[in-house]
Amino acid sequence: MKKKLNPQTRKSFITYGLLLIVFIAVEILLKTGSISSMLQGLLVPICVYSILAVSLNLTVGILGELSLGQAGFMCVGAYASAIFSNLVKDSITQPVLRFTLAIFIGGIVAAIFGILIGIPVLRLRGDYLAIVTLAFGEIIKNVFAALYIGYDSAGLHISLKSQGDLGLKPDGKMIINGALGIGGTPNDSTFEIAFVILFISVIIIYNFIHSRTGRAVMSIRDNRIAAESVGLNITKYKLITFALTAFLAGVAGVLYSHNFYSLQASKFDYNLSILVLVFVVLGGIGNIRGSIIAAAVLTLLPELLRSINNYRMLFYAVILIVMMICTSNETIRTFFIRNFQKLKGLIIKNKSGSETVKEAE
Amino acid sequence: MALLEVKKLGISFGGLRAVDEFSIKIEKGELYGLIGPNGAGKTTVFNLLTGVYKPTDGSITLDGEDITGRNTIQINKAGIARTFQNIRLFHNLSVIDNVKVGLHNHYKYSSGTGVFRLPKFFKTEKEMNKKALELLSVFDLDKEAYLPASGLPYGKQRKLEIARALATQPKLLLLDEPAAGMNPNETAELMNTIRSVRDNFDMTVLLIEHDMSLVSGICERLSVLNFGQLLCEGKTSEVLSNPEVIKAYLGD
Ligand SMILES: Nc1ncnc2c1ncn2[C@@H]1O[C@H](COP(=O)(O)OP(=O)(O)O)[C@@H](O)[C@H]1O
Ligand SMILES: [Mg+2]
Repeated sequence: MKKKLNPQTRKSFITYGLLLIVFIAVEILLKTGSISSMLQGLLVPICVYSILAVSLNLTVGILGELSLGQAGFMCVGAYASAIFSNLVKDSITQPVLRFTLAIFIGGIVAAIFGILIGIPVLRLRGDYLAIVTLAFGEIIKNVFAALYIGYDSAGLHISLKSQGDLGLKPDGKMIINGALGIGGTPNDSTFEIAFVILFISVIIIYNFIHSRTGRAVMSIRDNRIAAESVGLNITKYKLITFALTAFLAGVAGVLYSHNFYSLQASKFDYNLSILVLVFVVLGGIGNIRGSIIAAAVLTLLPELLRSINNYRMLFYAVILIVMMICTSNETIRTFFIRNFQKLKGLIIKNKSGSETVKEAE
Repeated sequence: MALLEVKKLGISFGGLRAVDEFSIKIEKGELYGLIGPNGAGKTTVFNLLTGVYKPTDGSITLDGEDITGRNTIQINKAGIARTFQNIRLFHNLSVIDNVKVGLHNHYKYSSGTGVFRLPKFFKTEKEMNKKALELLSVFDLDKEAYLPASGLPYGKQRKLEIARALATQPKLLLLDEPAAGMNPNETAELMNTIRSVRDNFDMTVLLIEHDMSLVSGICERLSVLNFGQLLCEGKTSEVLSNPEVIKAYLGD
């Protein structure tokens, strides 16, 4: 007997299945030593970028608001958790416990910033969110780049001027060293942990979308006036969605900061936010699985194209443009979908009774 | 006591007095029509009643409760639901999800319950599905429940809007030109549906309509609006034979 799943559930389970297959394949390749160290170094960043992309897709694709602040939320999460881990690395030696706490701290601090930005901005109609989040990202980056924090027996010292200005006693330790950032963060991020977090993030997002709250959010996106007319609290649902986006971006920041020995604020610039937006647009707005694929492909691509060194960026650009045309142009997309279905029909000829699976995300 | 009592409602857009001293009294269970030439201010009256616009003058009382000046969300919660002249569906959502959004404030579980798939999620969703399918079957839409709303033919989209409005369990249902764009067969069917909604849901209906066959077929009383002002009101047959009304419609 064939089990009947509703199209939405089926879609999310296909994504879970694909993720698991990729994970197992990567693990096998790692165990057999068939992945270059260059590619190995990209595994955690791919998970980080994927989390950033799926969480941004929640705001862009499901809520229908433009946010350019992913790097800012990531930065907040990265710094908050790195400070925490540095402070407790001698007292909490259990890495799993320490990292779990770090993840929650990074996520929650980022979500608080999301809510603080969202409360005034999400009430407004129009693209104010894009402007404000863009400014937020740049401000956060510059504040952290100018921040000096250290501690000694007298307690915490904070300055915006220089290391000397802190006046640390000889027993003191630096936590944030201005533009040099944070060093010595315990390397708690591994590919396995990053994958688990990505997997959980995807489950959270799918479950969110396919719930009462997600339906409300999508109805606001589709028609705000009608959503109000059936009594939906618009601002509340916008805020919940945006806070979840910020939370997950903060978590991505935690993975990021615990993957490297040192962390500088300059990494979290405007280009990173745009890059994440590119992943979302190329993967298809509102398409969660597409965001992960785009993030992975576009992170791997520059490395895979290294052999044709001089033409690398050219290929990269061409692939970008082709992907964009394929995912955003309605005519071309239906063309591909139709032909893909034809192809599927040829391969699985004996299987009759096709159901129409519509994009319901 | 009347279900809806509106007194001397008014609003201006710039120099234009779109609605002026508009009063209406609708009893519970009535099928009431609001008619008038294009641009008379009918849709604006609906927008005032539902809080889309704030009236500059006058008062609105629903079931004894003064709801003047409240916003759209509060007014829906107080018991007024509406459809729109130019259809406003959640077009990327499925037909059933459109209705489930209408049920939103009556079947509750928290966002966390949804994300973590707690037992209450499954229980409430099941109840919502049942209720939504029930509503859809009233409008003969249950077979299309899982299609995207945008894929429905025009007439069915209008019906889905009514189903969604009813899902909010209102006391008063406002329909803005429900038969617009329908052929005579569809209109006749819609008349039956509206009547059965009134009977089965114990609903009070105020509708704007241009189709005189529908108006004279189902409305018990009418108000006529002309240039934002009430021209006359009363029993349907009397109003439609009033020479002033005929003149307003034919123009002069
Ligand atoms: N938001 C608005 N701003 C300016 N003028 C408006 C607005 N809404 C309606 N009007 C004007 O008010 C008048 C009545 O419009 P409306 O209520 O839509 O008429 P109808 O009786 O055809 O539904 C029209 O002249 C229209 O142009
Ligand atoms: Mg109108």
